[in-house]
Amino acid sequence: MSEVATETAEDTGERTDPGVASRLLGRARVDRLLRSGLYGFAGLMLLFLWLPLLVIVFLSFTESPAVVPFEGVTLDNYGGLAANTDLHASVRTSFTVATLSAVIATVLGVLASFALTRYRFRLRELYRTFGIVPMIVPGVILGVGLRFYFQTVGPGPSFLATVLTHSLYGLPFVLLIVTARLYTFDESLEEAARDLGADPLTTFRDVTFPVIAPAIGAGFLFAWVRSFEDFIRALFVSGISTTPLTQWMYGKITKASADNLLTLNAVSTLVVLGIAVALAIAMNVGNVTGYVAGTVGEKE
Amino acid sequence: MAAPDRDEPLRGALIRVLSRRRNSLGVTAGPAAVWILLLLVAPLAFMTAVSFASFENFQVVWEPTLEHYRDLFVGGTTEYSLGPVGFRATAFEEAVMLSYAVATAATVLCLVLAFPLAYVMARLDDRTFKLVIYLVLLPFFTMYLVRAYSWFLLFGQSGVLNELLGALGVGPVGALEYGVLPVVVGLTHAYFPYMLVTLYASLDGLDFTLLEAARDLGASRVDVVRDHVVPLTLPGIIGGSIFVFIPSVGAFVTPQILGVGKVQMIGVLIENRAIGEATNPTTASAASMVVVVSVVAALFLVFRYVSLDELGGV
Repeated sequence: MSEVATETAEDTGERTDPGVASRLLGRARVDRLLRSGLYGFAGLMLLFLWLPLLVIVFLSFTESPAVVPFEGVTLDNYGGLAANTDLHASVRTSFTVATLSAVIATVLGVLASFALTRYRFRLRELYRTFGIVPMIVPGVILGVGLRFYFQTVGPGPSFLATVLTHSLYGLPFVLLIVTARLYTFDESLEEAARDLGADPLTTFRDVTFPVIAPAIGAGFLFAWVRSFEDFIRALFVSGISTTPLTQWMYGKITKASADNLLTLNAVSTLVVLGIAVALAIAMNVGNVTGYVAGTVGEKE
Repeated sequence: MAAPDRDEPLRGALIRVLSRRRNSLGVTAGPAAVWILLLLVAPLAFMTAVSFASFENFQVVWEPTLEHYRDLFVGGTTEYSLGPVGFRATAFEEAVMLSYAVATAATVLCLVLAFPLAYVMARLDDRTFKLVIYLVLLPFFTMYLVRAYSWFLLFGQSGVLNELLGALGVGPVGALEYGVLPVVVGLTHAYFPYMLVTLYASLDGLDFTLLEAARDLGASRVDVVRDHVVPLTLPGIIGGSIFVFIPSVGAFVTPQILGVGKVQMIGVLIENRAIGEATNPTTASAASMVVVVSVVAALFLVFRYVSLDELGGV
């Protein structure tokens, strides 16, 4: 703060110069210029985020996977998808894995959030840190570690191993979102319910749950999407009998032929579309963006 | 509440059990603790053990050895020189250096590119903000694999970018071929939203009238950014950098797809030893341990300065 104070002192001295008005005018002009530059740059960044998606959507409607020479527009790339049984099986696998693991992650994460926000206990900080770690550990490391582990003590790389791995991976997302909501939860509401004679279970069902339900939903959605889109962890623990959608797609990328690429473009476009609809619904039903952007947790 | 009478004894028992602090703490904290112990701590401990075990006839033999670590670090052949100091690097050391360089580049790019957008987002009105956050989150929620793949279509000798340049008469540009540059761009694109959301969370709490006051009192724009904006958003900057840097160091999909075998980052190397052509669990574990230790060291350093709570809600 002392630095600021000295600068202020210097500047007040400077202000007594003539030409203050013109300098202020100049400053306003530069401010305007900077602001439009800033907004222009922000717009460019949005374009950067969207460019690859737009290219993929465009290339899913073309006759060949190349832009030049442009060979015309078609819906054929989508037509083939209906008969592709491998694709359907992998989508079913991904849905099942994502749903089961997100349910587990949500149950564990909500319970753990209550422990973290309502109780002081030994090793609480450690507990919280390890609750976040599965999100931070690079996917390759988690995948490799769990692969060797499951091969020795568990079910081996399999469907079950994939669900267990993803349930661990989804836990931090639920934990972060639900603890943020619980920290701002007004506990006197619960006390009021208890004082009026409600038992703890009724209080939870009628008072606490309705308030934190949107956060739980957002956490579930996050965990679900993380599982659905995961490739690297599943690569190590899924084994040969379980093929999630991402592995089906990876197979097509590594065996890149024009046909494979066009099919992939169509599938990718459908994925983008599905996510777009789910996100739009989630944003209108619950305050997902608030949880994601951390605006809920910080205003105590 | 279809049959309250029948549920009553069970319900009563449940309430009695839960009303004791120790029990309710066990019920809430217990399940996740078991999960973390069995699926995170135990596998990492097991991996540590494997990295010190011998490997004979394609079997892990429980005889302690440092051989795998020695193999990773000793006996390098590629010459490097850092100023006057020259050294020979092993393939693993090269992978480590490349991964850290690529991850650093991606982190710096994310920070520089995301900061202005986060700043603008913090100043938007609610309606526009909702639209912009939707536009940001959609690519974020889209499959990581799809995003890497879409850059695969854009880059390359005959990728979309080169074809468009060709159509404009500017020949195929060599820099756009698969290699380190596409990997850096791909990683920047992949983790950009992590940085953006974390920065936004810390910028959102910023009092912008403070900045205007500083300006009115004569501080230059650079002064305001240096003395106010950066210090006040430091937790966001550090947090966002972690969220970009750590997954970038261990990335596999992006270097594999956009590097087409030419960009040997640690993730690619480990995958190769774990399930790829040169399967050797002990070496894969030793290499993973090096990454884990460096990541833990980085986190430890950072958490001395910021707490996890301040890192925003990613």
